[in-house]
Amino acid sequence: MEQLLSELKASVIEGDEEAVKRLVAESHASGISPRRVLEEAMMPAMEEIGTRFSKGEAYIPELIVAAYAMEAGMETLKPLLLGDEQGAGTVVLGTVAGDIHSIGKNLVRMCLEGAGFDVVDIGEDLKTEKFVEAYREHKPRVLGLSALLSSTMLHMREVIEAVRAVDPDAIVMVGGAPVTQEFANEIGASGYAPNAFEAAVKARQLLS
Amino acid sequence: MNGKERMLEAFARREPDRVPVWEMAFNEESIIKLASFFTDDLPPVKFAQQMTPEEKLKLLTCLFTIVRELELDGISSLALLNTEPAGQDLVKDGWGRLLRVSEEGEATAVGGPVSSPGDLDNMEPYHPQQAELLVLMAARGNFGDEIAQVFVQPGPFRESWTFLGSMEKLLFYYIKNPAFVHALARLATDFILEVVDMAIELGADIIGLDGDLAFSQTTLMAPEHYYEFILPYHKEITERVHGHGKLVFKHSDGNMSPIMDGIVEAGFDGFHPVQPQCMDIAEVKAKYGDRLCILGNIDCMHLLPFGSEEEVELSVKETIAAAAPGGGYIISSSNSIHPGVKSENYIAMVKAARKYGRYPITIEV
Repeated sequence: MEQLLSELKASVIEGDEEAVKRLVAESHASGISPRRVLEEAMMPAMEEIGTRFSKGEAYIPELIVAAYAMEAGMETLKPLLLGDEQGAGTVVLGTVAGDIHSIGKNLVRMCLEGAGFDVVDIGEDLKTEKFVEAYREHKPRVLGLSALLSSTMLHMREVIEAVRAVDPDAIVMVGGAPVTQEFANEIGASGYAPNAFEAAVKARQLLS
Repeated sequence: MNGKERMLEAFARREPDRVPVWEMAFNEESIIKLASFFTDDLPPVKFAQQMTPEEKLKLLTCLFTIVRELELDGISSLALLNTEPAGQDLVKDGWGRLLRVSEEGEATAVGGPVSSPGDLDNMEPYHPQQAELLVLMAARGNFGDEIAQVFVQPGPFRESWTFLGSMEKLLFYYIKNPAFVHALARLATDFILEVVDMAIELGADIIGLDGDLAFSQTTLMAPEHYYEFILPYHKEITERVHGHGKLVFKHSDGNMSPIMDGIVEAGFDGFHPVQPQCMDIAEVKAKYGDRLCILGNIDCMHLLPFGSEEEVELSVKETIAAAAPGGGYIISSSNSIHPGVKSENYIAMVKAARKYGRYPITIEV
């Protein structure tokens, strides 16, 4: 069993989608609980990529292939995870109005999924009301806002105010190239992270 | 010394009479806002792609007015590839790339003609047409040799990912299919070489290769991936430009430190814009100032949009003190004059560059 989980972890890190799908199925067949597969193989794999990333030993391509492999594995694993076993909760994620950049948001999505969240990616260049609608519809535990341009990050404040009008306790995280911790504080965001991995860690901290 | 001589002197890493002032790009809205300080003859605010030929001409005239009034030392142009409408906010270029325009930024590729390696077999390369370099021709016609003609062209990394319509996909193939990445870079580089030849024939003095290779923390790819997938193509381009007796610099936002040695090795003459949030211009100057001309560094993320004119002046003064002594520095914003930048701040930046940029530099900070 340990052998299977460690092979699975290595396959996620290597980005071997086929091996990941096969090993998830084999783990299930040999009676390992889906939660163990997630918590002892797949999530640690993403954590390890995160550690390598922060040390400058892995870059975005390595993250992308690992995240795709993780996604492939999750497709098999998700139906097996039952009810309250479905992970850390829902995050709604989108890029604010005027900004059509997606790569940063996509990396955050992958890392959040790697950390066990269900992510609803609502896209790019979204008007404030789209975030409010999605918040009402999905009732996420965290709302994540992304921006790449300094001219668009100002929309984050509007979104936070509009969502807090619906739910004063809404947890809203912000990130993206121009965003800083100071800016996040100034606009009343609940959390900020400088990169995708830390965004996942931060989201978990905010909920703990 | 005229603007062109000043820019070339800086590229030669010698001291001109004063620090050259130049900008890599102004967005449409920024051009109109800035030009309104000098003229009332303005086009309506919209994207160039959505303008009538008369409005485009007016926009270009506004840009020339700004360059003249602010006595900039160079002007930048780029190829405006022919496009056709392809749905709301979408246009398609000659390669079949779908570009989306947003309210606050440049057109970005959201769909490409290639989705898998097999698609390359049937792909007809697109060849640039002179008319697509109209801005360069007009700038050259207007300013002659008074100021430097800088022609900005996406580099092989950016052209490659736009063929796929997604940077994420290209970076995925860096690991999963290196041969495909090389095939895309080949296609991109052949096109870039054609554009560069044409631009130089039409009067470009300096070529800028844009397309970010880094983000705020580090490079998008590992240094060894830069050396494998990008540097050989960069080398081909710099050799071609040098063969014509012209100059070439690399533009990339973000923290480029991990591959700066590669940028030198690839044969670039300059590096832009040394983004102040993630690179220290004094360090870059100390380490690479003997081999690269340094361009840029005045913060357009916070300072130019939200700062005061006094803060802008102070930043210009400090940056000139750090980067200009000995030559090899051209001042510009840390990316472009985008619609968020206050026009007053940009004008304050240019004025401060004149105030503190006279050689020999004697500023004490």
